[in-house]
Formats: sequence, C-alpha cells, structure tokens
Amino acid sequence: MDTPSFKLAEKIIERLVQEKLLTIKEGKKLLPKLAEGKLRSEDWQLPIETSGQKESSDEQNRAETNHY
Amino acid sequence: MSKTALKQITIKCLRGSVAPFSLSFEKGKKLTIVYGENGTGKSTICDAFEFLGKGKVGSLENKGLGKTNRYWQSLGKKPTDVSVTLETGSSTCQAAIGKNAVVVMPPEARPSVEVLRRSQILSLIEATPGDRYKAINRFVDVSGIEASEAALRQLIRDLTDSRKIAIAVVQENENAIQQFWETAGKPMKTPLVWAEAESARETDSLESEIGALTALREAYNRLTSYPELLTTAEHGLRTAQKTLLGAKKTAEQSLQSISQDAGEVLGVLQAARTYLTRYPSPKVCPLCESSEKTADLANRIGQRLKNFSSLQTAQKQAASAEEEVRRADLKVATLIETARQLSSDFEKCRAAHSSLKDIALPKSPAPEDPSILAGWLSDNARLSGEWKKAEAARYDRKQFVSTLQKALQTWRDNTEVQRELDRLLPRLQRALEIVEEERRLFTDNMLTTISGEVGRLYEAVHPGEGLDKISLELDPKKRASLEIGASFCGLNTVPQAYFSDSHLDTLGLCIFLALSALDQPENTILVLDDVLASVDEPHVERLIEMLYSEAIKFRHCVITTHYGPWKHKLRWGWLKTGQCQFVELTKWSNDSGLTLVGTVPDVERLRLLLAENPPDPQLVCSKAGVVLEAGLDFLTLLYECKVSRKPENRYTIGDLLPAINKKLRQALKVEVLTGMDAAGNPKYMTTSLAPIIDELTRIAEARNIFGCHFTEISFKLQDKDAVLFGEKVLALMEALTDQDAGWPRNSKSGEYWATSGETRRLHPLRKPV
Repeated sequence: MDTPSFKLAEKIIERLVQEKLLTIKEGKKLLPKLAEGKLRSEDWQLPIETSGQKESSDEQNRAETNHY
Repeated sequence: MSKTALKQITIKCLRGSVAPFSLSFEKGKKLTIVYGENGTGKSTICDAFEFLGKGKVGSLENKGLGKTNRYWQSLGKKPTDVSVTLETGSSTCQAAIGKNAVVVMPPEARPSVEVLRRSQILSLIEATPGDRYKAINRFVDVSGIEASEAALRQLIRDLTDSRKIAIAVVQENENAIQQFWETAGKPMKTPLVWAEAESARETDSLESEIGALTALREAYNRLTSYPELLTTAEHGLRTAQKTLLGAKKTAEQSLQSISQDAGEVLGVLQAARTYLTRYPSPKVCPLCESSEKTADLANRIGQRLKNFSSLQTAQKQAASAEEEVRRADLKVATLIETARQLSSDFEKCRAAHSSLKDIALPKSPAPEDPSILAGWLSDNARLSGEWKKAEAARYDRKQFVSTLQKALQTWRDNTEVQRELDRLLPRLQRALEIVEEERRLFTDNMLTTISGEVGRLYEAVHPGEGLDKISLELDPKKRASLEIGASFCGLNTVPQAYFSDSHLDTLGLCIFLALSALDQPENTILVLDDVLASVDEPHVERLIEMLYSEAIKFRHCVITTHYGPWKHKLRWGWLKTGQCQFVELTKWSNDSGLTLVGTVPDVERLRLLLAENPPDPQLVCSKAGVVLEAGLDFLTLLYECKVSRKPENRYTIGDLLPAINKKLRQALKVEVLTGMDAAGNPKYMTTSLAPIIDELTRIAEARNIFGCHFTEISFKLQDKDAVLFGEKVLALMEALTDQDAGWPRNSKSGEYWATSGETRRLHPLRKPV
C-alpha cells in the first residue's frame, strides 16, 4: 500500500520498535491496522504491555548474568 | 523506452472531432505540444484525454450548462457514436459513453490523467482553505493514523482514570485495615503485617466448630420436647384404659339381659317382625297358635329386638377402646425409645466437643430413662443459650477474617494494578508522543516538500524575483484547512493580495505541476490546456523551459497552446526538442473536424530543398538567407559583437557577417559529439567555423541576387553558386545546432557554450580581445 497513512504507519512502527515499545513481530502485526485506523484501545495495550514485560525480564536476566 | 509509452489517440464524435481524428505520438518523445489558433480543436484533444482518464469533459463545466454530458458528442451525432481510443506500448483501451457513466474497456488499462485548463489555473489559489485542503488531501491524508492515535489517547485517559481509582481503593483498604488493627489493639508492627498474619489463619476450624455447636444445640433442642410429649402420651394411655373398662362393663350388662339362646331367638324375632309387618293384627300367635297375648305383639317383638342391638353397640365400643389402649401404649413405647435414641445422639455430639474448652457441657450424660429427662433438661437449660452465643461469636470471627481477607486481597490487587499501570502508562504516553511527533513531522515534511517544489518551479520561471518562498500551511485551529503564503518585498503575506494576475497564473500552474508530480507521475498523463495564455512575454520562455524539464517526469505530457512565438522558436530550433513533438492544428471545419499540418524546422526545410533534384536556386537562397540570419543573430548576441543599431532590430546578413571579426572567426570552433568510446567517454569531432564563415562572406551576395529580388545579374550567375550558399549555411547550422538539443546556450562549464547533453561545445566562451 502506498497511501500517506501507510507510509506514516511504517515510520511510527519503526520508531516504536526502536524505542522497544513494540517487538518487531508485534510491529508488523499492528502496521496495517494502524494505517487503516482500526487499532482499538486493547490493540495498543497488549503489545506495549507484553514488550514491557519482555524488556523488564531481559533486564532482569542481564542483571543476573552480571551478578554471576 | 517504457512499454507504457503512448502510441496514438483516436477521437470519434467527441466535441469538435466531427470526423475521426488520430494523433500519433513520436517514439521517444514524452512531450507533445499541440499548437493551433483559437477554434482549431486543441481543447477537444484535452477533452479526449479527460474523457478517457476521468470520465468527464471539463471544458464544458462552469459554463452554466447544467449537466454537460448531453453536449459531449459532436453536433448531429449520438452519444453512442462517441469513442476515444488510446494505444500504448502495452495495451489499447477505449472509452465510450455508457448508460450512467463513461465506460473504459479494459478497465485496468485506463490511464491516470491530470488536466489543467486555462480556466482552472487559479482555482486552487482562489479556493477556500477547505477546498484547497481537499486538493492536497490525498498526499497528507493520515486520517487512519489519526483514528488509531485517538484510540491510544483514549486508552491513556481510561488507564489514568483506572490508576486514580486503584489509588483510591488502595487508600480505602489501608484505612479499613488500619481500623481493624486499631480495634484489635494494634498487635504486631504495622496494620498490614497484622492483617497478613490474621488472614493467613484457617477459617475451616471455625466452620467445623460452628457446625458442631449447631448440631449440639439442635440435639439438645430435640430432647426438650420429649418430657411433655411423653406425659401427654402416658395420659392418653391412661384415659384409653379407663374407657376400655367402662365399655367392657356395659357390654357385660347388655349380655346379661339377653337369654342364653339369644342367637336363635333373634332369628325367630326377626321373622316374626317380618310376618307382623304383613299381618299387623293376628288373632293367634303364628308360632304357637295361642290367642293369648296377641294384642300389641308387634311392639313387644320390636322391644326385644332393640335389646339385642344395644349389646352389639356395647361390644363394638369395648373393642374400639381396646384398640385405642393398644395404640396409646405403642405411642408411649415409641416415645420412650426415641427419647433414648435422642439422648444417645446428644451424647455423641457432646463427645465431638471434647476439644472445645470454652464450651460448658452437661455434667451428667443425657439420661436413658425418659422419666428423669425432664429434670436433666431443666438442670442444663441455660447451656443451650451459651452454645448459641458461642456459635454466634465464632460466626462473627469467621466473618471478620473473611472481611479482612477480602480487604487485604483488594488492597493487594489494586496495589498490583497501580504498579502495573505505573509501568505501562509511561510507555503508552511515550508511544503517543511518537505517533503525534511522526504525524506532525510527516504532514510538515509533505507540505514542505510540496511548497519547496512549488517554490523551485516558480523560481525557474521568475528567477531572482524573490517570490520563491511559497508556503503551504495547515491551519492548526481548523481541521482540513490549507493556507497559501508567499514572500513579497521581504514580507510574508498571501499571494492573492499582492501578486499580479500573471504571477498568480504561474503560481497556480506551479502548484498543479508540483501536486501532479507527487502522485506517481511516471503513470500519469499530464494535459495542460492553453495555460500559457496569460503569462507575460518576459516569463513565457522560462515557463516553456520549465515545462520542458518537468514534462519528462510524467508518462506523457500534452500541452496545447496558441502562443505563436513558441511555434517560431521551435521552427528555428531555439528550443531543446529532444523530448518534444510539435504538432500543429489548422482551421477546423464542420466536414473534416480537426486537421493536423506538418511543422518542419527551417534548417530541415533547407536540407529538403537542397536534396531536391535539381534544387531550386531561388528557394534555396531564400531559405538559406533566413537561416543564416538566425545563426548570425545568435552568434553576434552570444559574443556581444558590435552591430550598428537599427529600428526594430532589423539586421541583415550584411550587418551581421562583418560583426564577427577576424579574431573571433579564427577562435570559433565547435566540438560535435559523434558517439562514445569503449570506456563510455564522449567522442567529439572538432569543426572550425572560420572557413565556413569566410566562404559565406565571399558568396553572401548570392542570397540577395537569387533569394530576395528579381535581377538580371542572377542570369549571369551559375545555379551551383546558389546551391553552394545553401550548403555552407547548412554546414554552419549543422555544426552549431542540434535538432534535438537546440542551440549551445549553456555556459555552466566555464570553458565553452554547450547544448543540452553537450552534443555541441562551442568555443570560445568569450570573444577574444
């Protein structure tokens, strides 16, 4: 798709992934819905929550590795 | 060459095409200029493209015609006669008028077409900000993102509210636990530590204690009714026994009043009564035939039968009383047995309470003998109330622990909710910031790109006028509203207020071009219908140059014009024609409709005249003279040669040739591009112009003798002199100009003048001193 919304959606998803607010996989999944305006509240919440949990568990793992 | 390049458009019965009209597009040329005086049918060609690409005929709109489709067909033709066929490198598609709309077959071959007409050139500038926004909407429309962004914003709002509620609930629960803790006498360090410990206690034991106490109390209560029940039953038994005695006595008395052979006598008496009913006054006894005591015999027999009936009744009553005694006796026995069983049950319940130290129990076991049950119950009557209180206390305790557990669980849940939201909300807020930031950036970039492009195009037409700072801005206070801004005399203002009509026209055209170029120009056929009309003379040449350079971005560009100088500049090869096909329409007629005429540059005409066999000396000299004047005019202007001034700049060969002095002639050399070497570098062949110009100086008279006037001198000259003059002029022009790339006017190299693509390099850059 080549609409302005799709072009912008690609940039937004790229930034969100870059800032670890989304995983790459979730980002790919969200992209079409984001561009088409079909993202509902829960569609935003779950992946951002999940990536947050993943990030904190990664941090914890790193901390434990450093500790050992 | 792209496979989608245009080959030919054929128009039948649309507007001015009363007869089928075909326009073939030259291979390799993406720009077609259709020149024609007014009324030659230029707009019909534009209409055909619009009919094909957009299903409408824009030239008829806004003329007070209402629905215009009834005027689409040529006068006297039917809508079904109309068709426009476009052949391209890859397909052929045809548009016709369908029942409700223009139908294009095959639909997938329908080209993308953008048409700008003279009447529409200011439409975008004069439009309301809302309508202006609609024109650019397809490039900046991110409504999908805005909708998703709104959902994210709403989520943050909802979760912020949820967080506030969670905090309030946590506070409320903390207060409740604090109160419980204080009521409990503040045991342990903090209310929460105490609450955790308290709610960790098992409530199952309380549950079983409540059950046991309930069972004990109910077992006791069941016993309480038995003394009275037993007393009542025993009283009933005694009464039944007494009744039995009386009944027996009555029966005995009745029996004594009746003889021993009462049974047989009863039969005789009943037979006699039957007889006496039939013969009520017999004279003798029917049995003994005695006539004594026959009077009142029937009554006496009746009395004797009555005595027999009383006996029967008494005997029945005695039997009934006996049955009643048996039942009462059984009832007493059953009650005694049940009371014993209930006493045993109570003892079992008591045994189950051995662990309940705080519960008082009867000192003696429940009696097996019902006769002392009442006393035992009386001795322990207060205990049942105590058990009830103990049960209620345990129930209250259980309720409290349960309430405390719930309060603690709610506190834990909401604390967790708050913690999770504290982690999640900043992430969501950051996501929203990114979405907002990127959206603004995207829109701003797009508008900057469009306005930058408009400015670039505008500057190309109006260089150095300082009017290139065109800005397109979305009004932040209004949705879908676009403002145009421009710099005028160093101040930012709206162009409509200060720009001249001609400048506004150029601006309108630049905006149209910039927008068209944004939307897949390689797939778009751009049609500009007579847009040069109002552009003033100093700018039109630059506008044409700008259109040349922009046209190549599109799949194809068709420009119609009635601007005469354009035709003549092309005729003289002054314009780069590498991408350009020039066609000319001649006068339209009702019989033939649109008609094309050939337009051949004059250098080509000279070449054709020389190629004739034999060449016509007069025609050759006449054409060569005009061409030479054009060439010398170019050189003398380029090198700023001294020429005596004349009114209206009418210079002849006699004025111009001497102006190219000896030094300049010697220096004039042209490098002609002949191809590329193996390494891909251009190869040039150098031609010195001095010998050609010298020779032309020598035989220049031939032009006047042969080409301009009728003189007898021409009879004395040979035709070959005229042909030689023509050949030298052609040689000069072939060296100097390129049919496709035009004249060498570009000095960017700093060393020479070059044509587009450097097909010619003219030396020197400056006239030698």
